[in-house]
Amino acid sequence: MSADAPRASRAPRSIVPPVEYTGPRHFTLPDDGMQRVLVSDKVSVELGGKRILHEVSFWIPKGEFVCLCGPNGAGKSTFLKTVLGMIEPTSGSIQILGQRAGTANKAVGYVPQRKTFDQDFPATALELIVANLRGTWPLRVRPDERERARATLRRVGGEKLIDKPLAGLSGGETQRVFLARALINDPALVILDEPTAGVDVKGRHEFLEILAEISASDELAAILVTHNPAAIARCAERVVYIDGRLIAWGLPHELLGQESLSAIAFSMKDHANNLPPDED
Amino acid sequence: MNFLIEPFSQPFMQRAVFAGMAVGGLCAMLGVFVVQRGLSFIGDGLAHAAFGGIALGLLLGASVSHATWIALPFTVLVSLGIAFVLRRGRMRGDVATGVFFAVSFALGVLFLGLRPVTAQSVNVETVLFGSILAVSNTDLQIVLGVCVAVAIALALTWTRLAYATFDPELARLSGIRVEALDYMLLALTAVVIVVAVKTVGIALVSSFVVIPAATARMLGRSLHRVALFAVAIGVGGAALGLLLSYHLNVASGATIILTLGAGFGLALALRKR
Repeated sequence: MSADAPRASRAPRSIVPPVEYTGPRHFTLPDDGMQRVLVSDKVSVELGGKRILHEVSFWIPKGEFVCLCGPNGAGKSTFLKTVLGMIEPTSGSIQILGQRAGTANKAVGYVPQRKTFDQDFPATALELIVANLRGTWPLRVRPDERERARATLRRVGGEKLIDKPLAGLSGGETQRVFLARALINDPALVILDEPTAGVDVKGRHEFLEILAEISASDELAAILVTHNPAAIARCAERVVYIDGRLIAWGLPHELLGQESLSAIAFSMKDHANNLPPDED
Repeated sequence: MNFLIEPFSQPFMQRAVFAGMAVGGLCAMLGVFVVQRGLSFIGDGLAHAAFGGIALGLLLGASVSHATWIALPFTVLVSLGIAFVLRRGRMRGDVATGVFFAVSFALGVLFLGLRPVTAQSVNVETVLFGSILAVSNTDLQIVLGVCVAVAIALALTWTRLAYATFDPELARLSGIRVEALDYMLLALTAVVIVVAVKTVGIALVSSFVVIPAATARMLGRSLHRVALFAVAIGVGGAALGLLLSYHLNVASGATIILTLGAGFGLALALRKR
């Protein structure tokens, strides 16, 4: 989903009455004493003169699995790109393990949406994974690199895929390989941008099981952008709901089913052009 | 055996086969990246830009042979223009190339028309279809020099270029300067196209870029294997095509391309089985 893509049609107004935005709603937050892997501090992003994000602030502790939710056009992909260092915030900052976003690339693993890469490229799973390990495409893979790639694929249940060409993989297998690619550098944070979009039901179910294992880990933090309630229920330790601004941040059961969140989000749509100007 | 030895005992055929194999191999190597990026049309576009450059050289009073030196910077500029439009204009490669293709060719026609009536007449057919059998020692030295320079540039950037070809976004996240590589790839393609135009001509040069790479794509499962196959097909196709054209007494450039085309058909048939 592109941040500047046309916004999806609105839900019927009669279900949720408009509610004024009075600031982010903080439910149960992480313990202050925990090590912070990602800190988003009043991040605002403007693209092509259009305000996409306004003062989004939250943080992710070590090992926490966060689902980033919000309607289409809410700025989720823009936020991920800012975390990856592909977009500079107009104001505010994102820090990963204390370093500015984009300068700690080995600390961040990234699983893109399935549709965004060339699936007809003549490459094997091994080459793709080792490319992220080296930072360049491998001409030859050393035995130690192969062993490391194999171990990472084993971790995501895809060991048998190691020498398979990417072109022959199913949607679920492809995403396993991309997850192994993201994990090969032992990152502190893995970013998953709707990884199961376009994947068949079986592949989606299997992939969610792997994400649930990551969620159970105390070492690896994750941000999963998803519209899938099953994914939130299965994996999320915390949910961040944005719609241009931070709407709510808390535990999954606190946010799921909150009518007021939808009300705030749709109310925000009505006032999309009334976001305050940048603060100098 | 005489079938092989006799043609290549003649100096003009020796020069032709060396030039053909060098250009064939180099175009094929660049073609692997160009085809994989969905820019197959770029060879045609840059060849027509080269025509505009050659025509500009002729307008400025150069001979057909020396006009190449005007065509070289002209075509490189066009290639950088295409890369710029692709990057900034968020335009598809075929659209950007199509626009530059048409404008450059129109400029070429305009430049030829603006030449004074007293100017020496130009054999446009030579420019369009090349003259590999007329390659001089100087031409061969230029071709081989360009080959070495481009091969070194590709060897030094291969692993980054491959990553950026697979996915520019992921490559950028790994710290690769994708934009610089994009410009470099198109500029190198422009240089090779201008050199190749002298051998196979404007009309056929893009086949040298596209056909070996497209054939190799059906045979190799990894990018470096595809590249090795493509170079072997480009080099082998040029040599075999020249040999056939000699014995059949037909146009060399066209026979080389038809040989490459036959190889493509064979690979396609084998793949279907």
